[in-house]
Amino acid sequence: MSRRLRETLGHPFWQAVLLMLAAYLVIVIIGWVSAPVPRTVVIQYMLSALVGVLIFVSDNEQRWSRFKEPIQRTLVEPERRRLRGALLVLVPALVGFVTFQQVRPTVSAPAALRSVHPASPVRITFRGKAMELATLENSLRASGDLAEHYAAGKRVYYQNCLPCHGDLLDGRGHFAHGFNPTPLPFDGSTIAQLRESFVFWRIAKGGPGLPREGAPWNSAMPVWEDFLTQEEIWQVIIFLYEQTGLNPRRLGVEGEGGHE
Amino acid sequence: MGMSRAMTGDGGRSRAMTGDGAHPDRTSPDVARHRLSSPVCWLAALSALSATSMLRAQETQLSESAQRGKVVYDKWCMECHGETGAGDGAAAAFMLPRPRDFTRASYQIRTTASGELPTDADMRQIIDNGMPGTAMPAWGTKLGEGERNDLVAYLKSFSTFFEADAPTPIEMGRQPGRSAEGLAEGRATFEKLECFKCHGDAGSGNGPSGPTLRDDWDFPIRAADLTQSWTFNGGSTVGDIYRRLRTGLDGTPMPSFSDVIDAQVITDEQLWRVAQYVRSLSPEEPPRPRDVVRARLVTGPLPDGPADSAWDGVEQYYIPLVGQIIQKPRWFAPIVEAVWVQAVHDGSTLALRVTWHDRSSSPDPEWDEWLAAMAAAATDVDGPLDAVQGPDRLTIQFPGRLSGDVERPYFLGGDRQRPVYLWRWSSAPDALDEGAGAGFGRFTPRGEGGQVTHQARYDEGRWQLQLTRPLSSSDSTRAPSFAPGILVPIAFFAADGSNGESEARGAISAWYGLYLDVPTPPRVFVLPVVAMVLTAGFGVFVVWRAQRRESGRSTSEES
Ligand code: HEC
Ligand code: HEC
Ligand code: HEC
Repeated sequence: MSRRLRETLGHPFWQAVLLMLAAYLVIVIIGWVSAPVPRTVVIQYMLSALVGVLIFVSDNEQRWSRFKEPIQRTLVEPERRRLRGALLVLVPALVGFVTFQQVRPTVSAPAALRSVHPASPVRITFRGKAMELATLENSLRASGDLAEHYAAGKRVYYQNCLPCHGDLLDGRGHFAHGFNPTPLPFDGSTIAQLRESFVFWRIAKGGPGLPREGAPWNSAMPVWEDFLTQEEIWQVIIFLYEQTGLNPRRLGVEGEGGHE
Repeated sequence: MGMSRAMTGDGGRSRAMTGDGAHPDRTSPDVARHRLSSPVCWLAALSALSATSMLRAQETQLSESAQRGKVVYDKWCMECHGETGAGDGAAAAFMLPRPRDFTRASYQIRTTASGELPTDADMRQIIDNGMPGTAMPAWGTKLGEGERNDLVAYLKSFSTFFEADAPTPIEMGRQPGRSAEGLAEGRATFEKLECFKCHGDAGSGNGPSGPTLRDDWDFPIRAADLTQSWTFNGGSTVGDIYRRLRTGLDGTPMPSFSDVIDAQVITDEQLWRVAQYVRSLSPEEPPRPRDVVRARLVTGPLPDGPADSAWDGVEQYYIPLVGQIIQKPRWFAPIVEAVWVQAVHDGSTLALRVTWHDRSSSPDPEWDEWLAAMAAAATDVDGPLDAVQGPDRLTIQFPGRLSGDVERPYFLGGDRQRPVYLWRWSSAPDALDEGAGAGFGRFTPRGEGGQVTHQARYDEGRWQLQLTRPLSSSDSTRAPSFAPGILVPIAFFAADGSNGESEARGAISAWYGLYLDVPTPPRVFVLPVVAMVLTAGFGVFVVWRAQRRESGRSTSEES
């Protein structure tokens, strides 16, 4: 039995079949672990795998003739008539099926090409007051008690932001599932890449304040300048960084932000 | 509570206090309810009770674990559940159901009998998995195992009731195998136990007691929608449901049915059957929203009204809605949790059917009581609710202009630059307005020449609205034309008048897409056939050539 197996495994024809199977498995697994692979990509990939396998078997004269031998036998030997007939039916059927899958009309929403962190404007007007974002600093960091700002910011967060951004600051509040794009998480490391002035702009101007590449028409992020004072926004920003244990990026200091 | 437990006659849950002496100082809410008929009296007794238990809790020294738990609690739970655990944190007014008040030690999700304390494992279960359908999140991934155990210790310190001996879980027994007869028996028992009085005949939460239901803190509470098991607070398996039926949800009107078994009105197996029946009212898997609603092309006539059985075969798309909390006045306690959308067209007319659950056809005088309770619950953080019930409303939104452009109007009502095209239906009077919106709440009716027709029906806690419109618009400056093969952005807004949802208050969705199928082009069938014929022909040719060569070789060998 095991000799049979060794012979089979040593045969270039079965090696080629196994290689093709392995190639298919790889793409299936890629589809599981990351995003599902589109059908056209699978077909292209399998075709290149086939070319590779053919180059491998034909690269050596002896291997090539051994590879061809079972094919040749299937094509001509009278005792393989049944197999031959089956293949002549199955292969065209498979090709027909794959073609049908290709031309069948399907609909899907166009992929949303959305820039999550587009460049902020140079200046904004906050409740009628002009602000230069480049030089805007969180004034509360220099004045008063950080613990008090944190407590005040926490209240602002729980009363306003919680249904979307969530108690865990993971962007999965109890209303988050209703929106597309979904609210952004703060507990990853993104807010550590952002300057506080950028975060201020995002909170003050919300979704509608995004530039075109941010798809402002889809964002559910409210315009908080209509609800909160400047101080309250700085407080909630302090809360976001304290609660997640992250630091904001600071101007001119690359890679300053990060874990405490 | 307005609901009498007709079956047992022994006062329902009061049985739970049977003198096992586990916590002698604890007055069961039910005993209290029977003794103190006036709600005022009852509330006074209650606050006195919780005040003393709080004081005592603070007197006693916190264990080390509870001290560590306090640190975690103050960071992650306090803003909802309150500094003293009374459920009155700064965020409490922004949600319904409210965060649990721990000082009363009354827990909904337990494995113990009605009126008993939860076990530590019960509390860990809630902290780990949260309570689906409420604001209570799952902490299992956020906090470490040790932290979650410390939290249990700290939560228990909010009430002296926990000084009593640890409670024991009830015996669960085994679930009988499922069968059609079993489901029928479950349905019969469902009727016998009068579940429909709160949950409605079809289980969509619309029972006649609905307007009167309050929790033990006097907040309005909805009987669960049994057709949406994914919103059950304590989990959606048959075992979870059975356990809830045995233990009741303490602090809510949802009773325990253990006493009915003890009184031999039904058997334990019949209660399992009820649980199986309840589970069968919801789909196996919770529905998932899909981005695109497809309108199939039909050849026969379009469905004639929302009750037409032709709709039964049309695919349903589930679209979740959430409270409008983006513009003032925001609304944190919406009723409508989703709409189900179906669509077909015949090449010249589009028909949509939108279905949603709503416990009342507003305005309904029966529900005045509920509206008053909502107003008193003060969840109306951006201004008071209307004192008078408005109608139920549904608005469907499309872009004002349809272009191939990726750009769309702002999903919440559009704006002046990019207006939206709206179908606004309201239940009383039953009318539909077609028009344009330039910002949420800024609506200009189309007036003459409207092309949308509608038919609405309310049945078993459910609205169904059929809307039809010719694909091509008679006036493209006022309404866009629809065409097959183009993705049309579509969004929804729904409001329940008897819940105080007027004007901007209600539930909203994101943009979805509506796609009208094009007739299947012939190449879809021709191309595969051509491919098959070519492949087969090639195969036959290869075989023929190989055999010819082979026979040529053998003849030459012979000679
Ligand atoms: C109605 C839901 C909703 C509410 C309420 C809400 N947000 Fe957002 N927020 C979003 C969504 C959706 C996004 C992602 C889309 C976007 O970037 O605009 C977002 C994005 C953000 C961002 C950008 C993050 C980044 O990585 O660029 C910040 C900062 C933010 N929100 C802060 C807040 C704060 C602070 C509050 C409360 C004062 C709040 N949000 C309330 C929905 C909401
Ligand atoms: C967003 C606010 C919010 C936060 C934050 C929150 N909870 Fe809750 N919690 C709730 C709500 C709301 C309920 C009640 C739901 C209901 O009555 O259906 C609840 C209920 C509970 C219950 C009672 C379960 C039962 O069986 O009755 C426990 C225990 C609990 N929370 C523990 C915690 C702990 C521990 C934390 C912090 C790690 C926490 N909660 C954070 C909102 C919150
Ligand atoms: C007096 C009114 C009332 C009656 C009678 C009643 N229920 Fe309920 N039920 C409620 C309420 C109110 C809730 C919601 C509790 C909450 O949201 O916290 C509920 C919740 C539920 C839930 C969801 C549990 C969870 O995990 O959230 C189920 C399942 C349920 N009931 C089934 C039944 C069945 C079956 C019967 C009859 C045997 C029944 N109920 C009788 C009022 C009632």
